[in-house]
Amino acid sequence: MSKYNLPKKFDYKNVNVLKQFITETGKIIPARVTGVSAHNQRKLTRYIKIARFLALIPYTDMHN
Amino acid sequence: MKKYEAVIILNPNLSSKVTTFTKDFEKLLNSNSFNIVKYEDVGRRQLAYSINNHNKGHYLLFNIEGDPIQLIEIENKIKYDESIIRHLFIAVKEHSGEDSQLLIDSKNIKIEDEEINSKKVKEEQEVAESNSNAESEEVDSQEEVEEIAESEEAKPEDDEDKHE
Repeated sequence: MSKYNLPKKFDYKNVNVLKQFITETGKIIPARVTGVSAHNQRKLTRYIKIARFLALIPYTDMHN
Repeated sequence: MKKYEAVIILNPNLSSKVTTFTKDFEKLLNSNSFNIVKYEDVGRRQLAYSINNHNKGHYLLFNIEGDPIQLIEIENKIKYDESIIRHLFIAVKEHSGEDSQLLIDSKNIKIEDEEINSKKVKEEQEVAESNSNAESEEVDSQEEVEEIAESEEAKPEDDEDKHE
């Protein structure tokens, strides 16, 4: 049982899902904290990094 | 033939010229034997961080398919286009064919904005109505003040009578 509503297919455009897995400072939360499977965590990190590049998610909270 | 998703963030100041840009981009894709499977205009969106001193960007999503070698030429041309502040091509196994979450979110936000605007208009109307009511009340109170003043004028006369 996961406390997150994970979609069947991850997508860098689904910002609301990805935002659950980053901290307030923008870091990716480790899987040992969230309990996401290693398989899903790999996908999450990949798509979070793409979403960051497209300015959908911040890299950090220190952006000017 | 490979399938790609293209995300292009346009300069927000040029968002009125989106249609001309998309036509040019289509020509560029077609000249390099690329097909557009799906096109989404997400619209202006707040950027999570500023890019080239822009705080907003106009997002365009394309589902395209074509040859990887041709894609390099397209990217070379896009690189020097100053109206594009960021672009990304991603190879995908399958195009989802559905509307992307970004487009759905932007639509929802628009609907919410409209609701808020309509609420604001309603509130303004209510405020205006209450103001007009308040004005009529003020008129009433002025009349009362005049009545009081008249009665006060009458009082000193009474006093004079008593002295006599």
